[in-house]
Amino acid sequence: MKPRILLIEDDPQIRRFLRTSLGVQGYELIEAETGNDGLALAASRVPEVVLLDLGLPDLEGIEVIRRLREWSSMPIIILSARGQERDKVANLDAGADDYLTKPFSIAELLARIRVALRRKLPAEEGKPLPIFALGDLKVDFERRLVFRGQAEIHLTPIEYKLLSVLIKYRGKVVTHSQLLKEVWGPAYTGQNPYLRIFILNLRRKLEADPTRPYYLITEPGVGYRLRDE
Amino acid sequence: MDQQPSRDETFPAASGPEGSRPESWLVCVSPTSLSHPLIRSIHRLAQAQQARWYAIYVETPAHARLPREDRERVSQALRLASQLGAQPVKIPGFRVGEEILAFARENQVSKIFVGKPYQRRWRRYFRASLADYLIWNCGPIDVYAISGEAEAAQPVRTRWPRPQPLWANYALAGVGVGLCTALAYALFSYLALTSVAMMYLFTVVIISSSLGRGPAILSSFFSVVLTYYFFVPQYFSFVLANTEYVITLVVMLVVSALISGLTARIRYQATVARQQERQAAALFEMSQNLTARYSLDALLAEAAQQISQIFQGQAAILLPDPEGRLILGAGNPIPDYDVTEKIVAGWVFRHGHLAGFGTGTLPNVRGIYLPLKSSSRVIGVLRLELHAPERPLNSESLRLLEALANQVALAIEREELVTQAQTAQVQMEAEKMRNILLSTVSHDLRTPLTVIAGSASSLLEGENHLDKATKQEFAQTIYEEAKRLDRVVHNLLEMSRLQSEEFKLHSEWHVLEEVIGCALAQLDSQLRDRPLHISIPADLPLVKIDALLLERVFLNLLENTAKHTLAGTPIDITCRIAEKDLEVEVADRGPGLPPGQEEKIFEKFYQVWPGRTRGAGLGLTICRSVIEAHGGRIRAANRPDGGSAFRFTLPLDEEPPLDEYLPDETAHPAH
Repeated sequence: MKPRILLIEDDPQIRRFLRTSLGVQGYELIEAETGNDGLALAASRVPEVVLLDLGLPDLEGIEVIRRLREWSSMPIIILSARGQERDKVANLDAGADDYLTKPFSIAELLARIRVALRRKLPAEEGKPLPIFALGDLKVDFERRLVFRGQAEIHLTPIEYKLLSVLIKYRGKVVTHSQLLKEVWGPAYTGQNPYLRIFILNLRRKLEADPTRPYYLITEPGVGYRLRDE
Repeated sequence: MDQQPSRDETFPAASGPEGSRPESWLVCVSPTSLSHPLIRSIHRLAQAQQARWYAIYVETPAHARLPREDRERVSQALRLASQLGAQPVKIPGFRVGEEILAFARENQVSKIFVGKPYQRRWRRYFRASLADYLIWNCGPIDVYAISGEAEAAQPVRTRWPRPQPLWANYALAGVGVGLCTALAYALFSYLALTSVAMMYLFTVVIISSSLGRGPAILSSFFSVVLTYYFFVPQYFSFVLANTEYVITLVVMLVVSALISGLTARIRYQATVARQQERQAAALFEMSQNLTARYSLDALLAEAAQQISQIFQGQAAILLPDPEGRLILGAGNPIPDYDVTEKIVAGWVFRHGHLAGFGTGTLPNVRGIYLPLKSSSRVIGVLRLELHAPERPLNSESLRLLEALANQVALAIEREELVTQAQTAQVQMEAEKMRNILLSTVSHDLRTPLTVIAGSASSLLEGENHLDKATKQEFAQTIYEEAKRLDRVVHNLLEMSRLQSEEFKLHSEWHVLEEVIGCALAQLDSQLRDRPLHISIPADLPLVKIDALLLERVFLNLLENTAKHTLAGTPIDITCRIAEKDLEVEVADRGPGLPPGQEEKIFEKFYQVWPGRTRGAGLGLTICRSVIEAHGGRIRAANRPDGGSAFRFTLPLDEEPPLDEYLPDETAHPAH
């Protein structure tokens, strides 16, 4: 069965482009022009992923997210315009899973959808990986060891924890406050400068060129994302 | 004897030669009700003939003794004339005719109009009228007498001046003469009659110069009578021992009467001069102060304060809001509960007519309301509430108040014109900016769009015969041009955001490496074949910046470099700490900047080589705005060994919040 994706977007050209592109990639796309239609379709057709545009004519994007989250945990990917960084954080905090900034490439969208679908699988959710490998990077969770190529990298406990959290959500954006909460605890949300320093240190240890990071991607104004594939 | 402005009968108008250029006419205003119709008819005539005209009133000492209504009538007539386009003139003087003719000659007046009330024939022979005087002495000027009806003039004559005598002054005069008599009597044995007469004359001079005309006349009369009784033989009787004494007494009477008349005149002139000086000084000071103020608020406050001071009251200037309701512009507000005051203010604003306390219109309020008239309309209302309402303003003060109100209106109008001119200037600038923006933006948008449309149509057309590599190249071109288009749009948005009034920096403590990394990630395809040398000190502290904006700075600087230099040439990004600043340099090995353009390139829409490269010319302007918003500076220079360098500074004057407890052992980036 083809994975079913709900697209809530009022612009017909974007709907057309996504219908064609996602159809080719083997997804079934159902479309809604307004937030209310989208909420109705989400309830009646139960899609596996929701793509939500932020400039809907009838409802604020954040309102759609809240109403969906009242009864469902289906992954929501926001399609936002540039310059809405603050909205992005608010939407992610309200329960959205990820976001894409327009204009985006179809490759980026497919990657986001794949991550969202994977997280939907019950087997994946919360299940600890014995070993995580990405490019040169290898993390052995059982022995708590990190390797770049053949060389072992020494991480401090916090750095290790930070990396584990990012691996847990790999491919998905993790906001600053979410990272701070999961690594340091709820009391530390808002201490973004600390987080930045730890990320910098982590990059210096993991990346070949820390100014042009490959694994640890910065999402400006929002948070960080670990490369997925 | 007195020179009251009598408007008696007149002879038919004399006629003289007429000039061909716009004529000047003169209308004589009198305190009779004739003046209004006279002014109106001359207004019609003047309009038809396109003549300039004056309305003149000669203020004689008698004017002060006129009843209040008559003085008010004169003021109203002059106001009416000024509203109808005449130039109102009020000159002090003694001989009405002389003053009028002198003014007429000075101002090259060709026609004089004077009202002619009905008068019985016999009176003509006793009093030479103003019209008569004008006709006899006019020379080449035409004099027209306009007749009025008997009734119109009659009421005025019946209410002819009977000023309230000041009994205290008469009593003082009596006392003065009595003292003089006592002194003269005591010294009489040593004095001749002429010396006694001199003492009396001296007394009359003192009395007339200090107590006014009436007491002076009384004292001269008494002086003669007392001299006659006490000091002329037969003493203590009105019998003359010698007829020669008749001459002495008559001469004494005439001399003292003349002296009292003259002294009173001098006194009056001095009063008038003082008053005029006061008015001129007030007006001068006001206009001085108002021209020195550059904002409307300061100007209004100054005017209100000054008027309050001159008239010893509370002045307020009321101006209409956009809906036409009067609101306080400056000065003391009208209390909210005072509805009547506000209604009167509104009435004055709508009708452009003086009203309120002490005037003929709507007098049952505490404030005097004057319209502030600009050249075309009423622009506000001046309110004055006197501290001492028991002493209402006399007509002179009212006239001064009107003159001051005119000054204020002029100043407000001037201020409004200046504001309008500035707004127009700003609008013009904005319009110019918009035009440049539209032309450059449409160029910048169209170029990538042309490439995208061309490549896409090639793909569509050549579906069957294009090889895979060509198709791939077209698709790649479309993708890259679309990205470029996105950056142009983003720059435009950023520019308007930076220039909007709500713009605010969202600064946080950031790691500069991360910000540079974000910019580099976005320019991946353009910088793919460029060797990049990035040098950042490992112990660089956190910097407090708006990361999204600083990312734009790096994006624009790097994209500029990529655009203006050949593929494969290196780009250097160097950060160093220089005293209290962080200095960042983005440098290339390209052709460098044309000398003398190092500043110009930061101007909006400026392009070094117009039309040669793409980009709306906004990139560097955005860089400068962002850096300056952070309190830094950005400069461009040519490198000594070739290429250009863009250097900017960011202040490091705040300590990063790192002294707090850090829950890990390798908290510091330096290790």
